[in-house]
Amino acid sequence: MLIRFVTLFFLIISAAAPSLAQSDPKPFIDQLADANFKQAEEIIGQIAATGDARVVPALEAFAEGDLYARKADDVVFITKTSGSKLALVDPLTGESAGEAAKGAMTKIKVNNNLRRAIRDALGALTLMSPDRNARLQAANTMLAAPSEDNLELIETALAKETDGEVRARMEEARAVSLLTSGRSIEEKREAIERIRNYGGRDAIGVLRGAYGSVDASLQPDIDKAIGAIESEIALWDMAQNVWYGLSLGSVLLLAAIGLAITFGVMGIINMAHGEMVMLGAYSTFVVQDLIRSSAPQLFDWSLAIALPVAFLVTAAVGLAIERGVIRFLYGRPLETLLATWGISLILQQAIRSIFGPTNQEVGNPSWMSGSFALGGMNVTWNRMWIIIFSLSIFFALLVLMKKSSFGLQMRAVTQNRRMASSMGIRTPWVDAFTFALGSGIAGIAGVALSQIDNVSPNLGQSYIIDSFMVVVFGGVGNLWGTLVGAMSLGVLNKFLEPWAGAVLGKILVLVLIILFIQKRPRGLFALKGRAVEA
Amino acid sequence: MITRFVLRALEGKIVVAIGVLLAIAVLVPALNLLVPAGSAFHVPTYAVSLFGKYLCYALLALALDLVWGYCGILSLGHGAFFALGGYAMGMYLMRQIGSRGVYGDPLLPDFMVFLNWKELPWFWYGFDMFPFAMLMVLVVPGLLAFLFGWFAFRSRVNGVYLSIITQAMTYALMLAFFRNDMGFGGNNGLTDYKDILGFSVQAAGTRNVLFALSAIMLALCLLIASAIARSKFGKVLVGVRDAESRVRFLGFRVENIKLFTFVVSAMMAGIAGALFVPQVGIINPGEFAPANSIEVVVWTAVGGRGTLIGPIIGAIVVNAGKSFFTGAFPEFWLYALGGLFIAVTLFLPKGIVGTIQHGWNARKALKAAAEREKGEDTDMMPQAAE
Amino acid sequence: MTTVAETRSKSLLYLENVSVSFDGFKALNALSFVVEPGELRAIIGPNGAGKTTMMDIITGKTRPDTGTVLFEDAIDLTKRDEADIAQLGIGRKFQKPTVFESHTVWDNLELALNRSRGVFATLFYALTGEDRARIEEILETIRLTHRTDELAANLSHGQKQWLEIGMLLAQEPKLLLVDEPVAGMTDAETAETAILLREIAETRSVVVVEHDMGFIRELGVKVTCLAEGAVLAEGSIDFVSSDPKVIENYLGR
Repeated sequence: MLIRFVTLFFLIISAAAPSLAQSDPKPFIDQLADANFKQAEEIIGQIAATGDARVVPALEAFAEGDLYARKADDVVFITKTSGSKLALVDPLTGESAGEAAKGAMTKIKVNNNLRRAIRDALGALTLMSPDRNARLQAANTMLAAPSEDNLELIETALAKETDGEVRARMEEARAVSLLTSGRSIEEKREAIERIRNYGGRDAIGVLRGAYGSVDASLQPDIDKAIGAIESEIALWDMAQNVWYGLSLGSVLLLAAIGLAITFGVMGIINMAHGEMVMLGAYSTFVVQDLIRSSAPQLFDWSLAIALPVAFLVTAAVGLAIERGVIRFLYGRPLETLLATWGISLILQQAIRSIFGPTNQEVGNPSWMSGSFALGGMNVTWNRMWIIIFSLSIFFALLVLMKKSSFGLQMRAVTQNRRMASSMGIRTPWVDAFTFALGSGIAGIAGVALSQIDNVSPNLGQSYIIDSFMVVVFGGVGNLWGTLVGAMSLGVLNKFLEPWAGAVLGKILVLVLIILFIQKRPRGLFALKGRAVEA
Repeated sequence: MITRFVLRALEGKIVVAIGVLLAIAVLVPALNLLVPAGSAFHVPTYAVSLFGKYLCYALLALALDLVWGYCGILSLGHGAFFALGGYAMGMYLMRQIGSRGVYGDPLLPDFMVFLNWKELPWFWYGFDMFPFAMLMVLVVPGLLAFLFGWFAFRSRVNGVYLSIITQAMTYALMLAFFRNDMGFGGNNGLTDYKDILGFSVQAAGTRNVLFALSAIMLALCLLIASAIARSKFGKVLVGVRDAESRVRFLGFRVENIKLFTFVVSAMMAGIAGALFVPQVGIINPGEFAPANSIEVVVWTAVGGRGTLIGPIIGAIVVNAGKSFFTGAFPEFWLYALGGLFIAVTLFLPKGIVGTIQHGWNARKALKAAAEREKGEDTDMMPQAAE
Repeated sequence: MTTVAETRSKSLLYLENVSVSFDGFKALNALSFVVEPGELRAIIGPNGAGKTTMMDIITGKTRPDTGTVLFEDAIDLTKRDEADIAQLGIGRKFQKPTVFESHTVWDNLELALNRSRGVFATLFYALTGEDRARIEEILETIRLTHRTDELAANLSHGQKQWLEIGMLLAQEPKLLLVDEPVAGMTDAETAETAILLREIAETRSVVVVEHDMGFIRELGVKVTCLAEGAVLAEGSIDFVSSDPKVIENYLGR
């Protein structure tokens, strides 16, 4: 009785405020409890007219025969058999509503006529839903599961659709469904054209699937369409490869950019450069560890905090190396190479003694994970950020070198030490700070690389040869050369990879660089003239 | 002509070193085989192989000294030539296993059977013949050095650039040899050898012969290196090291000079690798690791580059130290090695032998100056001799 | 009047319209320059005039962008490298004395001797009596007989300059290019060097680049003044040093 009353109440409300009534389908669903087939068909129409997408599960359950009414109060539920009882689910919210004995429930009967009404209602509900996203999703669903039955529905929806994107998707869904229908060859030809424009691997699947069933005169059209789609996919694959290449290039750039200063500008062969990167990565690990234990809410900021820490740590280590060892070896590059190699061994072993030889877990903050699609490409956020990050470091460094007074002193010292010193520049300190800067940047690079590589004592080793290759290839003493060198090596590597495999690709790149250096010993962007020889 | 070339090599220190090497070639096997195991003078068999390994390293360091110490080419890829020589020997030893392998294939080594290969790759042909394999020990490293040097020296890649690309070369080879498809056993390399020329590689007798051969080979290569160093060619080499453009403007073809030296040195490194493999029982791609090649540089630097004997001493001393440390304080070894790199470059740039030689020469010069002064002025007396 | 062809056919070294630039900077600008057999020639000019670049081009260290460089009217030097050109008979002394410091004076000269320079020839080389005599003769000429067994590193600056000249003599060149031979020498050494160069010029052509006007006056030879990569004036020292262009560009007002 009470329910009747409530229903009545709702009906009154709905009369008073039609918009509200229209948006609440609950009373209509409950009316199904004691409706005959004819009434049920009307009710389905009314439910559909609410345009509320929440009714979709209820309608689907109805079609499947899973909709029951409780005998006690005529409230309608979606049910699932659970042993001898039925598990009840609220038809709109999907929340569990307890269990009931089978005997306490009445099945709401359904026939084919009703099923068709339900399907139409469902299609109309979603395809004609006032919510744009619902329509888009419905079109996508139909696109994924083409069926001749949907055709008319889609066409009805299309006639009303105004939103461009949804319309395009509906057209595609229509085309896909049309292909296997009994429509005319002309229409199908148009549909093939439409599917070709839609593109993607799914489209090839649809076209291939329809190949056997369509009229023979259409088969050349399908072949052409598949060919066109395939070449489009190849193009996207190429773009994806370039993207991977740039991403690898930005990693190389990060690893090499500190070296571009210490080796490229100062001429110091720092074989411990890789260990500076490694120290940067370990600084990140330590910072994250502290944050995890004392302030977990800051975790998303951990990289931002790690950046200055890593810079300071590695710059300090770099300063100590320059003051302690390298300054005694200026003008003896081969000896510098050996001494810094020794330093790298010591640093590796020190880290191994402190943190152990195994990989350390460095987490990705939430904004670094996940990916998005760009046309036919898949772009992961961490790669994206690393490209952005490496380029910003590069340009920051460029500005520092060209615009700041420290940069000016640095360039003065490297070009003419004696002249610079007689102009009052304290050359030893410029040397020391330049080296510290290069090391600090390597440390920053380590923060970024900790996000994509294993943080272990050997981290640096894997980058040192690549870094030198990049700097030498790009041209020593030229920051732009380092950028172009890193990016072109990255792209070259990624293009060789599918053809030759990852390892062989890397070997080929090394061999190509070795041959290139023979041809142009001073790299891509070489300085020419007499001054270089001196 | 040849005899004069060789005789010139026999300068005092070299004669002593060759004598010592030949003596231990006899003495160590004698102490192993003839002295009973209980005696204090007995050298256990494992130690014979260990010393044999040091001698192979010494030969590698000697090879490096020829290019670095005399010609100024700091090769960071000499380990590659060593490993290639080792692989050539390893391939011979693998072919000798025959049907005694785990899979019992009479032709294919185990790893190929494991990879489901049906045929022996073409580059494995001939390695069942010892003379051919020994030829390859020289030819393969020599050829790589020739090709590499041909391009590098012709285009005048110098100094650190050359060092970096030699490092890249050995790195690329390491990556290549790690691949199973290369047909050299991939990660695991070549191992489980049975016998060499019909003698079991495990037998004490074989090990002693290999040791003696290592010592004799080292002596022979020392003789050759010394003959090269003391010829006019050797003087040109030092000229290239100290003032390359002067040598060019004197009309010498610097690229040919470097190329010849590089190839000879690579072959010596190959011999060292070939002697090394049967004594340690394995060769794998790890031998190509850039770190190995750089370690050779530090042996050479410790002993004293440009002295020929120094690198031999350096290699033995450092490797003995390594054996000791990695046994007693494994954590400490990399600190010690790293410290050694720094200490030698900062405090002992001439190395042990170089420093002693320098002191010796300085004393001699002082004496000579004193003599001259005495001759010129007989009243001026002893204090000048200090 | 001699025609161009005649000048060329008589010349030992013939440069015509030689230009080279480094990153836009024209180091040589259509330079033409002729040395006759047996001539001693001095070259002066301000810094950056192209003196060293000219020597680089003659000796094959630098390739010109355009122009002709002929040796003995037949050999195109732009197609040869340093070793070739040295073997043809052009010797060069650098601005900074460059000798083999870790070799003795004797070894320095032995290496420079004009003998077969191939790998195997040098490996199996043995000093002959003839070579010994030649080295001793050169030692005499460069006044270093008393320091034969001394390491070159222990020589004074002037002695190193002489040793380098001695090495050039041992090469038996037809043409000697000498870059600033008296830089850093005492007055006595300078005078001695002038005598030495004149002696050498009796048997071969010598081109001397020098800033020291006193030294050039002492040589008393034809002078070429270069500026901005081209010949500014050519003639006797008095003629050149009174040329207003030379005064403005080089000698100073």
